[in-house]
Amino acid sequence: MTTTNTHDPSSLDRIRDAVVGQSNSRRALLLMAPLIAFELLVFVIPFFILLRISVASGSADLPYEPGTWSLDAYSSVIENILSFDLFWSILVYSFVLGGAVTIVTVGIALFYAYAIWRSNGLVKSLLLFSVILPLLTTLVIRTYAFTPLLSPTGTVNDILLSLNLLSEPIQFVPGTVGAGIGQLYIVLPYAVLAIYSVMATIDWDIVEAARDLGASRPRSVVEVVVPQVMPGVIVATVISFAWSVGSYAAPGLLSDNYTFAIYIERLLLTDQRYPTAAAFSVIMLVLMLISTGALFAILNRFGGDFDLA
Amino acid sequence: MSEITLHDLEKQYGETTAVEDVSVEIRDGELLCLLGPSGSGKSTTLRMIAGLETPTSGTISIEADDVTDQPAYERNTSTVFQDWALFPHKSVLENVAFGLKMRGMSKDERHTRARSMLERVQMGGYGDDDPTNLSGGQKQRVALARSLAVNPDVLLLDEPLSNLDKRLREDMQIELREIHEDLEETFVHVTHDQDEAFTLADRIGIMNEGELVQVGDPDEVYENPKNRFIEAFLGDTNFVDAVVTRTSSDAVHVDTELGTELVLPTDAEPAVDEGTGLTLSLRPEILSIDGETGRHEPAGKQAVATDGSAHNAVTGTVENVIYRGSTVRYSVSINGSSMFAERTDASTGAHAAGDDIRLEWDGEDVLAFSDDGTRVTL
Repeated sequence: MTTTNTHDPSSLDRIRDAVVGQSNSRRALLLMAPLIAFELLVFVIPFFILLRISVASGSADLPYEPGTWSLDAYSSVIENILSFDLFWSILVYSFVLGGAVTIVTVGIALFYAYAIWRSNGLVKSLLLFSVILPLLTTLVIRTYAFTPLLSPTGTVNDILLSLNLLSEPIQFVPGTVGAGIGQLYIVLPYAVLAIYSVMATIDWDIVEAARDLGASRPRSVVEVVVPQVMPGVIVATVISFAWSVGSYAAPGLLSDNYTFAIYIERLLLTDQRYPTAAAFSVIMLVLMLISTGALFAILNRFGGDFDLA
Repeated sequence: MSEITLHDLEKQYGETTAVEDVSVEIRDGELLCLLGPSGSGKSTTLRMIAGLETPTSGTISIEADDVTDQPAYERNTSTVFQDWALFPHKSVLENVAFGLKMRGMSKDERHTRARSMLERVQMGGYGDDDPTNLSGGQKQRVALARSLAVNPDVLLLDEPLSNLDKRLREDMQIELREIHEDLEETFVHVTHDQDEAFTLADRIGIMNEGELVQVGDPDEVYENPKNRFIEAFLGDTNFVDAVVTRTSSDAVHVDTELGTELVLPTDAEPAVDEGTGLTLSLRPEILSIDGETGRHEPAGKQAVATDGSAHNAVTGTVENVIYRGSTVRYSVSINGSSMFAERTDASTGAHAAGDDIRLEWDGEDVLAFSDDGTRVTL
C-alpha cells in the first residue's frame, strides 16, 4: 500500500466533499433567504417591537412613553389576573371557548376525514369540495351568515319552535354558543384537511387485518386508524386551539363578550394603553406555548399501543 | 381445526362477476391451495371465507355453523395478507398479541403467548422492534405469527409469499409446509404460482374466470386435468391440433398438423366420432429424444413405454437450443409446426440447431381435449 503518497486520494476527496458540502449549504441558505427575510420583516422584528413596548411605561397623552423602561404593565396585568379580576375572566373565557371549539372541531373533523377517506368517486369529490367551499367566501360574510340562522327570530329557532321542541326561542346569537359555532366553522376546513392528508396515506389493509383478528368496526378504527392519524390530529388540534383561543372575528361578530383578542383591540384603540396590551399579549403567548406543549405531550401518548381499560 | 363448506358461492361487483358457483368442501386439517391466474377470483373467494367480502349469494359454513352473514371480527378465521398488513405503530410483539388483546386476554398472558409464537417462527429476538424496519421475509414471519396466535379455525393465506424473492419464497414454502404439518390446522392458501401450489398443497383447487374448475390431489389435477386450461396452466406442454380419421375397438387414429397419423390407444369403445377435431397435449416429459427419455420418469412408466402397440414418433429439425440450467430445451420444427422437447442431462447427447432428431412417445400418455376445451377421455 502506498500510504506515504502525498497525493492521498482520500484526503483530496475529503477536501472536495467539504467544498461541495459547503456550496450545498450556501445554496440552501440562498434558497431560504427570501423566506428568512420575510419572517424577519413580518414576524420577528414586530414581535421585538411588541416586547419593547411591553416594558415601556405608560403615558398620559401618548400610547406609551418611548425610551422608558418599566415592568409596571406586567405587574398590573399579573396582579389583575391573580386577583381574578377582568383580565382573569377574559383569559378564562378565551381558553374555555378555544378548548370547547377545539374538542368539537377535531371530533367532527375526524369523522369527516374518515367519511372522505372511505368514500369513492363523486361522493368523495363532493365531500372534499364542500370542505374547500366555505374558504371561497370571505370570513366576515360566512360568519355573519350565522346571525339569520341562529338569532332568536332565526331559522334554527323557527324550526325548533315549529317542531315543539322549544317553548320559547333561545338566543344563540349574540352569545357564546353562536361565537363558538362561528369559530368552529372557521377552523373546521383546516382541521379536516390536516387529518385527511394523513389518513389518506393509511393502508386500508391494516384495518381489515384488525377486523380479521377480532376487532369490531369502532375498535379497529380506535386501535389502528386513530394512532396512525395522530400527527394529523395534533396539527388540527394546535391550529384549532391557537386560532380559537385568539379568536377575534367570530366572537366580535356573533357575541358581545370579550375574548382576549377583542380586549387587546380595545386596550390599543380605545384606551390607548399600549404597554398593558403588549404585556397581556406576551403573557397570553407564553400561556399558549405552555398549553400547546402540553397538548403535544398528551396526544403523543396515543401514538402507540394503548389500553382502553 | 375445522371443516369448511362453500356452497354455490357467488360474488358480483356491479355488472362483473368475480366468483361464480364455487362449491367445495375443505377438509379438516388439510392445506388447500387455490391456484389460478390473476383475476380468477381466488383472492375474492378467500376474502369471503374471511368475512372481508360479503357473497352476493351462496353460503359459507365452518364446521356446522353457517357464517355467511357473520362479519370478519366474529369469525374465528385469520388471514395472512399479501403485503402482510402489519400495524406500523405497534411493536412486533404488540402486533402478534393484537388478536389476543381483542379476545380480552390480559397483557401478561397475551405477551407470553405472542413471545412463544415469535419463537415458533424464529423471530424470538425481534419482539421490541418496529415492524417497518423488518425485511420482507421477517414481516412475513411476523404476519404468520400474528395470525396463528389467535388459534384460528382456519388460516387463510392470500399470496403471502408473492412479494418475496425466489430463494426466500422457496424456503418459506418448506417452512409453511412444516408449520402446517406441526399444527394440523386447516390452511387455505391462495397463489398464482403452480410450483408453490405443488410444493404446499394437500389438494389443489384450480380457478379460472371466477369458477372453481377442478379440485383434487396435486398429481390428480396434473395427470388428469378436466380441461385444456388446466393442462396449459399447470406447466409447459405442446398442443397439437388433430382430426379423428378412424376409430377401432381399442384405438383412435388421428391426423395431426405434424403431418403424421398418430394412434391413441383406448381402454373401451372410443367415445369420439370420425371427423371430430381434437387438441392433443404432449408434455415434454413424455417425449423421448432419439430413444432416450427426456426426463427421469417414474419407474412404472417405463413398462408402458416399451409396449409397442401405442408407439408414436415424429422426426423434425432442431430450430434452437435453450440452455435452462438443469434442463436443455429443444425447439423442433416438424412439417412446419413447432414442438419442444427437453432433456435433463446437458452434457451428453447434445444436439445443435439444424440436427434432425426423432421424438417418440407412448400414445397412452397423450391427453386429448375437444374444441371447447373439455377433456375427452379416449
